[in-house]
Amino acid sequence: MASRAATGATLPMLALEHVAELSSVAGEDRALLALRNQARELLTPLLLPDRARHLWRYTDPTRFLPDTDPTDLTPTDVGPTWRLEEPLSVAGLLAGGALRVVEMDAQARKAGVAVEDLHHAKAAEMLGQAVPPGHGFVEDINTAAWRGGVLVRVPAGVALEHPIRLRVVAGPLTLPRVLVVAGEGSSFEIIEGHVGGDRSVGKVLGVTEILVARDANVRYGLVQRWDPGIVGHLTARARVAAGARFHLSLASFGGSTFKADVGAYLAGEGAEVETAGVAMGGDQQHFDHHTEHIHEARKTSSNLDFKVALTHAARSTYTGMIRIARQAGGSEAYQENRNLLLSHDARAESIPELEILTDDVRCSHGATVAPIDPEQLFYLQSRGLANLQAMRVIVYGFLDQTLARLPQTTRERIEALVAARLHTE
Amino acid sequence: MSHSAKPVFSCTDVHVWIAEKEVVKGVDLAVSAGEIHAIMGPNGSGKSTLANALMGHPAYTLEGTVELSGEDVTSLSPDEKARRGMFLAFQYPVAVPGVTVASFLRAAVAAVRGTEVPVREFRKELLARMEDLEMDPAFAGRYLNDGFSGGEKKRLEILQLLMLKPRFALLDETDSGLDIDALKVVAEGINAAASQDVGMVLVTHYQRLLNYVRPHVVHVFMDGRIVRTGGPELALELEERGYDWLETPATAGGA
Repeated sequence: MASRAATGATLPMLALEHVAELSSVAGEDRALLALRNQARELLTPLLLPDRARHLWRYTDPTRFLPDTDPTDLTPTDVGPTWRLEEPLSVAGLLAGGALRVVEMDAQARKAGVAVEDLHHAKAAEMLGQAVPPGHGFVEDINTAAWRGGVLVRVPAGVALEHPIRLRVVAGPLTLPRVLVVAGEGSSFEIIEGHVGGDRSVGKVLGVTEILVARDANVRYGLVQRWDPGIVGHLTARARVAAGARFHLSLASFGGSTFKADVGAYLAGEGAEVETAGVAMGGDQQHFDHHTEHIHEARKTSSNLDFKVALTHAARSTYTGMIRIARQAGGSEAYQENRNLLLSHDARAESIPELEILTDDVRCSHGATVAPIDPEQLFYLQSRGLANLQAMRVIVYGFLDQTLARLPQTTRERIEALVAARLHTE
Repeated sequence: MSHSAKPVFSCTDVHVWIAEKEVVKGVDLAVSAGEIHAIMGPNGSGKSTLANALMGHPAYTLEGTVELSGEDVTSLSPDEKARRGMFLAFQYPVAVPGVTVASFLRAAVAAVRGTEVPVREFRKELLARMEDLEMDPAFAGRYLNDGFSGGEKKRLEILQLLMLKPRFALLDETDSGLDIDALKVVAEGINAAASQDVGMVLVTHYQRLLNYVRPHVVHVFMDGRIVRTGGPELALELEERGYDWLETPATAGGA
């Protein structure tokens, strides 16, 4: 990342030998250690992004600095309490800095789906393809010091009947790493759920990379419902090859400060990306979502629909980048972000960003920030719905059009969380 | 009005302000069960404001007394009034995208009746009422008033009237924006409701609707007041002579 400015902040230790020790204790190969060291080098000295730079204008980067040396953490035993209620192809649990549970159904097993501990999956050459070292200081901290990771690999041509579920449990300091590799022509739904915090304070710096090979169809959901004490930053990036489809569902509910960086590189001709997201904030929650759809190849198309509903004194910022490279002619990109404010104290900002280097494109964007419509409220109330119920109906309707775009299982999951959230307000 | 025939709706000395401006300047009304009143008046006379303020629109300040079957509901919220059997058909029904007609009506019916209606039973009732109003069943799955034509919106208001079964209904310009076929269907719905003892006030600019719905009482509303009250023949007189001859506010003729 260009033009960094020193802020005088220091990152506790993260010494070379600590990184080496972490890597060796975890049984990693040299290639993975080399990648960690490359990221660590970029953090020395630690230069935080200039607050004038748009991506960090709204959220103080120092909030995401670990309070302790991340390599000091040793995996802790966490009793896996996870009731699987629906049929799944794969269930994986990352907790206490380790991959705890892997369950797989017969179809996935037979098809050769692999779910491995990322520390010894010998996957270094695939790591960093969607979130390379230098992507940002938070991602670099993760790349240098992540602990507890999972590789999910679905072989070419495999279409999974049931979704894959990954659950990541937040501890005092959590640096999870997820790598999803979708083989050529494969098709599946995968949901990464972030939970926990146990009402205590914690930090999460997570990075997920999804490599979508030719003609594959991946529906990925990132669902964040931390307890209120968590400060977290999640990055999820996909690299989408020619003819492949990538659907990204984003749902943000929890944490006190949450910054997300999600998006996709449309790297091959004809790649398609659709992002549909909802965020619901209350109390003093601070959300900062950034999306990027980066068109690198011809005839690629992307669409984004992101909705935010805020109560109390919640804050939300959304920056949405569409970048279309010179060689990506014949592409189209659409982006829409709507924000609904349910209280006088809630605030939202929406900043679309376009970098379009070719004329041969179709591109549009729209953004709104508006309070709840008093005429809608009056109408619903005149039909017997009490104020709170009327608000819920309006919020649900507001979000429903976006939820309708989600793949089945992800949609059911997120709808249940939306309903639960609405009924606790 | 004697105590034995208590009106389902009455209001006494109602004044309505929008910000600092007094728009309704002292209105008395009493409507009995099954009775249809028409309030007719020129544009800008304040009749829509009166209807919305009676229902409890938050932008208006109302003074005076509003009663439903003898209970003072003046200070109640719109939803509390609705649950006590009051209904307003809107002149401009607002769109609520993302909320289907069926899911909204189910919630409204549950709120007003105070009990959840089983899905199948509700569906059956909804489809029957939609058929009465010559509405395509696919309508139930559309988003509330979202992209509806003027006529579709008005039919939906009458559908709600029939589903919610209020004791008293205010219909604000329900006839405007309707072609003649739609007007007939809407009028049938209004007559059906009246035959089930709903007391009604039709607020209208034209006498057109009154060709199909016969009001018991007609009030002429000008400059925030009822200036004349009479029988159905008063509507015809207005149609012929316009409102100009009533320009000087007369004392409301106690019919």
